[in-house]
Amino acid sequence: MKTQLTLTQRQSFKALSFVLFMMLTSLNFSSVYGQTTNEVASSERTIKGVVTDGKTPLESVNVIQKGTRNGTVTNKAGEFTFPKKLKTGDVLIFSYLGYVDQEIEIKEDTTFITLELSEDLIEMIGALDTGKPYKSKRKN
Amino acid sequence: MFLLKRSLFLLLLCFTYQSYAQISDFAHKDFKKADSIAQAYKDEGLQNLTELSRKLTSNLDTDVERFRAIYKWVCNNISNDYNLYLRNKHKRDRFKNDSLKLKNWNDEFRKKLFKKLLKQQKTICTGYAYLVSELSRLADIKCDIVQGYGRVSTTDIEKLTLPNHSWNAVWLNSKWYLCDPTWASGIPDPETNRFTFYYNDGFFLAKPELFAVNHFPLENKYWLIDESKIPTFKNFKASPIIYGNAYKNLELHIAPNQMHKDIRKFENITFEYKLKDNIKTENVRFLIDNGSSQLKVKPNSISIKDKLLKIEFQFKYSGFYDVHLYIADELISTYTFDVKG
Repeated sequence: MKTQLTLTQRQSFKALSFVLFMMLTSLNFSSVYGQTTNEVASSERTIKGVVTDGKTPLESVNVIQKGTRNGTVTNKAGEFTFPKKLKTGDVLIFSYLGYVDQEIEIKEDTTFITLELSEDLIEMIGALDTGKPYKSKRKN
Repeated sequence: MFLLKRSLFLLLLCFTYQSYAQISDFAHKDFKKADSIAQAYKDEGLQNLTELSRKLTSNLDTDVERFRAIYKWVCNNISNDYNLYLRNKHKRDRFKNDSLKLKNWNDEFRKKLFKKLLKQQKTICTGYAYLVSELSRLADIKCDIVQGYGRVSTTDIEKLTLPNHSWNAVWLNSKWYLCDPTWASGIPDPETNRFTFYYNDGFFLAKPELFAVNHFPLENKYWLIDESKIPTFKNFKASPIIYGNAYKNLELHIAPNQMHKDIRKFENITFEYKLKDNIKTENVRFLIDNGSSQLKVKPNSISIKDKLLKIEFQFKYSGFYDVHLYIADELISTYTFDVKG
């Protein structure tokens, strides 16, 4: 009985160490990746920009740093100053109701973003369910 | 060690559970938490969709619950603008043979609609479907807008040529599901025509076979029913009228499969439905309208067995009749019969 127990224990220990090994490996990967981007990245800087629909500035466009909760919205003139300093390789997501989202990657020479959002070309339709009982049209 | 073993077992169990997920899994799901989160963010506007989506979903564990919170929020916070709907319908009908004018109208109307949605939280079908899809996407849930034809009691079936309705298909646990946030959110007050929130849970992950009775998608992939069962547009237009309450009470609408039938006096008509829950036979009744008066009628025979509701009925007199089926006091469906002597 005792030997049996040790055997299962050993087996599960093996399985567990394998899972742990896999976890550590994946952790390793991301940290390596993080390092390389850091090396490439130049100094952190403030990013500004302006968003339009091609003709007029767009107010209240959401500007969010991908993968984070850092963000801001554009003012009446469609302008924004991102509240957090960004580095090369960071990505900003621009979204606005009724327009197609756009992702912009911060390049080495990016300090100002001029962006034109395009409309989501969806046809607006709508049938209303009134719940009213149907009534046949009758010729009397 | 025992604990470790148990956690490994649980880990394995999780994987098995995921790969065999089916619609019945959701039947046991309790959406109380998702619903209360949707309720808690009631006053949240649409100014920041990313943040709204995060607030609605970040404390929930499964995609179906996350989707539920989004869907419920949209249904309970966005109202249907009846005037907007009428104006759009009027213009679309007017320009239906002039594609350039129709496109210009659509472009102009879309801008107006999104502004109204953002500022006043009012919209029409596509606005609902758009918002559900957008908020889902932000929560990493795949959710499409489905465009097509919706049929309700007031639809003029002869004039139904342009698509008039939008709904959603959502990808959960490797399967598509259907829902209709517009029709789930409420109905206009019969007296004042003002939109009133009245959530109908029947449109959430609805059964595709029932959905197909009054939703005709433009793309075949959104039927989610056996290909052999997909109706032609002509057959779809000939389907019985089912109401929002049908989605609350029925699992399936089986017979009759047509809105209208020419019959003879004393000819037997069979009505058949699969119910969601068992009901009492005395709660089933017809309201029959012969054009000049309405009569509440107890059908000749009603049977309920294993949630299968079967009704038999015969007309004694010739005439043209609208037959409305009621369960308790809820209007379920309508049929017409031309009874000849």
